[in-house]
Amino acid sequence: MKSDLFKGEMSMSTEQEQLKDYMRLPAEVLYQEELEALRKEDKGNIPAGWQMSPRAVLTFIAGGKAGKKVITPKYIGNTRLIEMAVATLVTDRALLLIGEPGTAKSWLSENLAAAIYGNSGLVVQGTAGTSEEHVRYSWNYAMLLANGPTPEALVKSPIMRAMEDGGIARFEEISRCASEVQDALISILSEKTISVPELGKEAGARKGFSIIATANTRDRGVNEMSAALKRRFNIIVLPAPTDIETELSIVKKRVAEIASSYNLGAAVPADEALLKVVTIFRELRSGMTLDKKEKVKTPAGVISTAEAISLLTNSMALAASFGDGELTDRDLAAGLQGAVVKDDDKDKLVWKEYLDNVMKKKGAEWRGLYQACKEMNE
Amino acid sequence: MNATAEAGVHIFGVRHLSPGGAKHLLEYLNELQPTAVLIEGPSDATDEIRHLTHRSTQPPVAILAFTEDLPVRTALWPLAVYSPEYQGMKWARDNGAEAAFIDLPSSVILSLQDVMRREGTSGRGEVKPEADEAGEPSTEEAEQQESVYSRIARLAGEHDYDMYWERNYEHNANAGAYRAAILSFSAEMRLLSESREQLEQPKEHAYNTLREAYMRRQIRKTIAAGHAPDKIVVICGAYHASALADLSDVLADKELAGLPSRSTKLTLMPYSYYKLSTMSGYGAGNGAPHYFEMMWETMASGRPEELAHLYLSTVAGYLRSSGTHRSTAEVIEAVRLAESLAALHGGSAPTLRDLRDAAQTLLGHGDLSVIADALVRVDVGTAIGHLADGVSQTPIQDDLNRLLKRYKLEKYKSTVASELPLDLRENRRVSSEEAAYLDLHRSILFHRLKLLGITFAKNRPSGQDAATWAEYWIIQWSPEVEIQVVESTLLGETIEVAAAYMLREKLQACRSIAEASLLIRVACECGMTAQMEEASRVLQGLAVDSRDVVGIAAAARELATIIGFGDIRKVDTVPLTPLLEELFRRGCLFLPDASGCNDEAAGQMIVAMNELNAISLDHSETVDEALWLQELLHLSERDDRNPRLSGFACAILMERGAVSAEEVASEVSRRLSPGIPADLGAGWFEGLSMRNRYGLLSRMSLWEQLNDYINALEDDEFKRALVFLRRAFSTFSPREKTMISELLGELWGVDSEQAAEILTGELKEDEAKMLDDLNDFDFGDL
Repeated sequence: MKSDLFKGEMSMSTEQEQLKDYMRLPAEVLYQEELEALRKEDKGNIPAGWQMSPRAVLTFIAGGKAGKKVITPKYIGNTRLIEMAVATLVTDRALLLIGEPGTAKSWLSENLAAAIYGNSGLVVQGTAGTSEEHVRYSWNYAMLLANGPTPEALVKSPIMRAMEDGGIARFEEISRCASEVQDALISILSEKTISVPELGKEAGARKGFSIIATANTRDRGVNEMSAALKRRFNIIVLPAPTDIETELSIVKKRVAEIASSYNLGAAVPADEALLKVVTIFRELRSGMTLDKKEKVKTPAGVISTAEAISLLTNSMALAASFGDGELTDRDLAAGLQGAVVKDDDKDKLVWKEYLDNVMKKKGAEWRGLYQACKEMNE
Repeated sequence: MNATAEAGVHIFGVRHLSPGGAKHLLEYLNELQPTAVLIEGPSDATDEIRHLTHRSTQPPVAILAFTEDLPVRTALWPLAVYSPEYQGMKWARDNGAEAAFIDLPSSVILSLQDVMRREGTSGRGEVKPEADEAGEPSTEEAEQQESVYSRIARLAGEHDYDMYWERNYEHNANAGAYRAAILSFSAEMRLLSESREQLEQPKEHAYNTLREAYMRRQIRKTIAAGHAPDKIVVICGAYHASALADLSDVLADKELAGLPSRSTKLTLMPYSYYKLSTMSGYGAGNGAPHYFEMMWETMASGRPEELAHLYLSTVAGYLRSSGTHRSTAEVIEAVRLAESLAALHGGSAPTLRDLRDAAQTLLGHGDLSVIADALVRVDVGTAIGHLADGVSQTPIQDDLNRLLKRYKLEKYKSTVASELPLDLRENRRVSSEEAAYLDLHRSILFHRLKLLGITFAKNRPSGQDAATWAEYWIIQWSPEVEIQVVESTLLGETIEVAAAYMLREKLQACRSIAEASLLIRVACECGMTAQMEEASRVLQGLAVDSRDVVGIAAAARELATIIGFGDIRKVDTVPLTPLLEELFRRGCLFLPDASGCNDEAAGQMIVAMNELNAISLDHSETVDEALWLQELLHLSERDDRNPRLSGFACAILMERGAVSAEEVASEVSRRLSPGIPADLGAGWFEGLSMRNRYGLLSRMSLWEQLNDYINALEDDEFKRALVFLRRAFSTFSPREKTMISELLGELWGVDSEQAAEILTGELKEDEAKMLDDLNDFDFGDL
């Protein structure tokens, strides 16, 4: 429903006006111009139910050009993974994206759905409380009691709606759901129908229907996916950014985007600050200094790229609200402290060790940040 | 263009290991029916073509050229079944055409590479890799052009050049398109890079020019021999394709005579896909030989579209056989994904990369590690080539065959593993000396092969460690062994010479005492006295600079063993004796110094002391026993060394009767007097108790002193001492513990059984609590 909100018949200006109020816009609205340009310039074969050709989808995600319009890259790093994701959806297989927290799984799935189907809003959010009704359908009980089972009383799940529309449904955090809920997907993915015995009918999937699910590697073993379900997905593992340059450009791009949409008011951090944060994050994540000479203890929490982005925007908010708008070492240190030391006393020791053994030796440019972190960690 | 070129010698440029190229070449040959097939390869190897195309030859095989004298230089031309060159030769054989190699002879190639290497080091500070593939732009050059190749790939929207090549050349099924594409590709590439190369790599450039001039000369010679120019097909690397069309500029006789030359030998050798996949450089090796073989087979059977099915179901097959179940439905989906990936690039068929990615997604469920093993098997494969008997003949192969015959080992040269126990002692029931020491000679041969890295015979540890005259070997011949033997040719003409060379190389690289003493043993096992002396000089040189008692003791022990049992191998160990003396002396002299160490290092020191002690007993007539005892006494008396080691020294002295009972008693009371910190006293006792327990147990006075000592300790001190005493007694066997309890029982005036019961019985509740309290006790920095 989310994106339908934006498709009303309001005048252009009120529409613009309204859009500004939303905290976060879905990808198909955020990148509306790019998508339109791509559709206009598209010369490839468009699969049934798709909005554009697979190559155009690839360009939308990996960046490039559509005519004169520059398409910004949405997923930076391994283009091959995007190719594999798009190729999977072409073969009408369901796609499962797996990765550590903060490896842009949901981001990729949203943008894929936006490009292929033009609507990234058909989402089932997986939690321990997700029931089979969320996956299949449920009833409007008032109407059910009044009129018995009628098509009007049927409340369709996002997946069912995607099937009827030949579109793409997203299933977030699938491994958080109980196994029986996960297994409700098995018949949907193999039969491509949902039967509604109360109405004596079946909802069949139109061409173009598919599901993009995401799962977290840290959740492994909570609700292990059954082999039968896994077989119905093409599984792609999204890695943490392979090199520091890639990670830097991801962080830089997202921080700038977020800063402008939230009007943070602080200056976008200098490249030096970005480099420092990304270096610290990479070293703590890999358990080794960048020059591979020293071992570093890793904290228990997740040290993802997404975390680095939120740390930097957080520090910017601090600087704007309580400082003079310039990002200082103290602001960064406060952010780092929060990101590295999550809940455990052990993390505090890890952080202290890192400060004294690694950061202290990094030379003069790091001196200020080191002092600030040291004070913060006392 | 001059007349000859217009008459049209047909040039067919290829990538060296390219199934697509082989297929197109065959079609081209069939259409053209040439009378001569000329192939880029050393011209002196033309005679080998008949062996290469022999019916019992199974690729992969390689032509190996090597110089006869030092320094050895080699060049290698590997051929797989899908090499266009190989298929070209076979076509010539089947169709009665003449086949010949036309590149510079190996003697010139090797010496030119030598020249380039030498000048290269002084000029550009770069050394070309050995065994450089002759016949392609070199690795160095490929690196230079790296950016060009990856730019091509990027423009074509591919992730790497291999993908680009496979999609655009291997999968190109249009007749004639392959040859035309390569010709123009080669021309453009040369246009792009030649002038720069001439400037930046003048030697590379000159080398290529020279080769091409020679190839043109050979082509002309073929024409002169009566072949019509348009009935000649030249198969060469893509890079040279455009340079061979114009035959005007040929290498003159005088120029050819002026080229440097070294005397070389050529041999064919079996090759393996594994080796092919590990060779680097454009064209010389390829990463997935078995995959390309599958591609060749599907092409040859006219069903190239089945490659994806074959590849993915083979991967799934390997997965299943290793216990990971994957359904057929998943294989089908993997094929669909691979094809959809290919379609995304506008390709007609999936490339290897597409197939691998599809396999990872569907068969590995996203995880590469699950399928990595299966992928390697399918990509690389385990195929090893085979040559007809007697084709591959290097001097070292002859030598090995001769030795095998002489030592009656021929029957073991089979692919079935067999076990061979050896008795190195003299066999007194036979008459000739050769027969009497048959097993010894065999052992020496096996050890030499082992040194050369030839895996024909593998040593299995014998059941009895002490039986130095017995050895057990598992013997198995395999094509890989054949390859290893051929490669050893480069080290020397015979097994003995090669082994000596290898040993000398190892000695020169040797940097530690342990390594050197091991090499002495290897030399002894290989029966190489001269090298043994050299090795002992190296060891001596290293030992002079070393103060590491642990290392010295280990080396001395190794030497002592060799000296002790050397005569069983008929090796003269007399020259080693002075070295043993010297090592032993150094070990003794540095003992007190080295004993000032922490408890962790003390563990190794104790091993070293045990070894030195054993040597002083076994070789008392050569080594300075008195010095050993004196240093031990010294160590035992000192208070500033590690107490465990002092105690251990005292134990050795006691065992050897070098100190009297009274002296020990006074030492015990001194060490265990109340004034001494508990960790020192108890630590010393721990050392003392590590040897000769019965000696200790039989001395009542010692236990009295220990008892008095413990009684005299303050509470806190006692708790400290407890740690050490507990550790000291933890290695005692239950029987020994019982004996101690009996002794203590006597001391305390209680029944010995009662005492044993108290000491070995279950803990009572309050005792357990006391122990719990002990856990909280602060032991300081213990």
